[in-house]
Amino acid sequence: MEAKKFIIRKNLHLTDKLYLLELEGGFNKKPLPGQFIHINIEPFFLRRPFSIAGYREDSLKVLYKIAGRATDILKIKKEGEILDIIGPLGSGFPVKNSQKNVYLVGGGTGIAPLLFLSEELLKNNLHINITFFYGAKNINEIVFNILPCGVNYIFSTDDGSYGNKGMVSKVMEGYIKRGDIPDVIYAGGPYEMLKKIAEISEKWEIPAFVSMENRMACGTGICYGCVTKIKSKKGWEYKRVCKDGPVFNSKEVLWE
Amino acid sequence: MGIKSLEVRLGRLSLKTPIIIASGIFSYGEVNIDYLDYKKLGAITTKTITFLPRKGNPQPRIWETPSGIINCVGLQNPGIKEFIKKGLYNVSLKGVKTIVSISGENPDEIKKMTDMLMDKGVEAIELNLSCPNVNRENRMVSQSPEDTYSIVKAVKDIAKNITIIAKLSPSVTDITEIALAAERGGADAISLINTVKAMAVDIEKKRVIEGGLSGPAIKPVGLKAVYDVYKKVKVPLIGIGGITTGEDAIEYMLIGASAIGVGSGFFSNPYLIDQIYGTFIKFLEKNNLKKIADATGLLNEKKDKGAGKRKG
Repeated sequence: MEAKKFIIRKNLHLTDKLYLLELEGGFNKKPLPGQFIHINIEPFFLRRPFSIAGYREDSLKVLYKIAGRATDILKIKKEGEILDIIGPLGSGFPVKNSQKNVYLVGGGTGIAPLLFLSEELLKNNLHINITFFYGAKNINEIVFNILPCGVNYIFSTDDGSYGNKGMVSKVMEGYIKRGDIPDVIYAGGPYEMLKKIAEISEKWEIPAFVSMENRMACGTGICYGCVTKIKSKKGWEYKRVCKDGPVFNSKEVLWE
Repeated sequence: MGIKSLEVRLGRLSLKTPIIIASGIFSYGEVNIDYLDYKKLGAITTKTITFLPRKGNPQPRIWETPSGIINCVGLQNPGIKEFIKKGLYNVSLKGVKTIVSISGENPDEIKKMTDMLMDKGVEAIELNLSCPNVNRENRMVSQSPEDTYSIVKAVKDIAKNITIIAKLSPSVTDITEIALAAERGGADAISLINTVKAMAVDIEKKRVIEGGLSGPAIKPVGLKAVYDVYKKVKVPLIGIGGITTGEDAIEYMLIGASAIGVGSGFFSNPYLIDQIYGTFIKFLEKNNLKKIADATGLLNEKKDKGAGKRKG
């Protein structure tokens, strides 16, 4: 992890409550898809965690949603302003070269780490087949213009205003039922959605890795504020989303 | 200008700087924080260890408030046996000393834990007598002068050669009474303050969040506690509460702290330790002082003049 300053190059309003930050700057160690950064947004005392949605040597992308007062401040930041960032933090998605058929499942802003992941998968594995199940509340919350090329997108919305109507997890399971069994599932999104993905992956015996979220204080594994229940020999224990995660094997999580 | 010394002593514990990482915000020191300049630290205090393992409290554990956070982590820890087995009482931290923080459900547990640490080369133990997040219905030890005295004395009787630090809560009528009780019990130093008992209300999810408040919001409370206690006790004080700048740290020193503890301020400001270190050096240069220990209490006075110089 590093403490770095990044310069805002773009702070784009994409649609509805969704924004894309393009930052100039880099880390000495290249981040892994699934890792996150902790941004200082004054005057708030605590930093706010954001998934890395894209990374090149000298630039970093953050997809964010207006979720409260801190993101209200972030959205009015202008090109040229400096952001004080700690990162890259946490674990990344574990990737194997042998994977040929990969499912990505994202709900809302949960797609952010999957955008970075799909770019990296395509770069490192020319023969990979990626199906990206993208769920949103409605058509206004889908960010079409930042989706990487070379990926097969399957959309779903809660109200049916675009793509399939209904839960993204169900849509994904429909593909599995029809015989398209992926080597692995990577998912990001709300807790309930991830829980459904975990159930489906267990049922079909497909490994799944989920990117979890929580309120955080330190972001670096030292305060134990962001814990979630993870199965252990003695039943379960609280593990840190920021340090032991945010990416967990879905089988390890004790879903509630 | 000459060489400036930041060395301080807390009882037998000698620190190369008065900058301490407070308990609960740094795990056990086993997580390497790449951007932290460990050379500038005097000591880290471990997350509090209890006799038996504790799972800790359910979510939410962190709640941001104006200028602070309420935490209710609830002393999640592996218990003293596992703590010792893993060698967490002294993870190698580039010369930084470790203060082991312990807490117990009763005096017997605390005595047993002290016994278990005796042959481990531990130099300092901090007694967390003031966690607001366990047995919330019950009184904290440091809300009673009698309990404070007897726990500190029980530990000191076992650990005669170890620096014993009593960490107190500001959530009391008169903190000086408690501090005096800790001193009578044999405390070599006193940490002031633990988090302030506090709560928040979540109207969205219709729930309340109880815990301990930290951050800039409590700095004035911490300063006042150190100011008042310094007048009455002889033992050195560790000033803790809402330090987010180098100037905050100096303020604590001037009113009586011999060392300072950094808490949640480190989360937002990764440069905090460097800033405090730099501010200390600059303060000594500007005021023609040779050592930081000479800054302690410059803006305060001992009530009992006969008390003379403090220990250490």
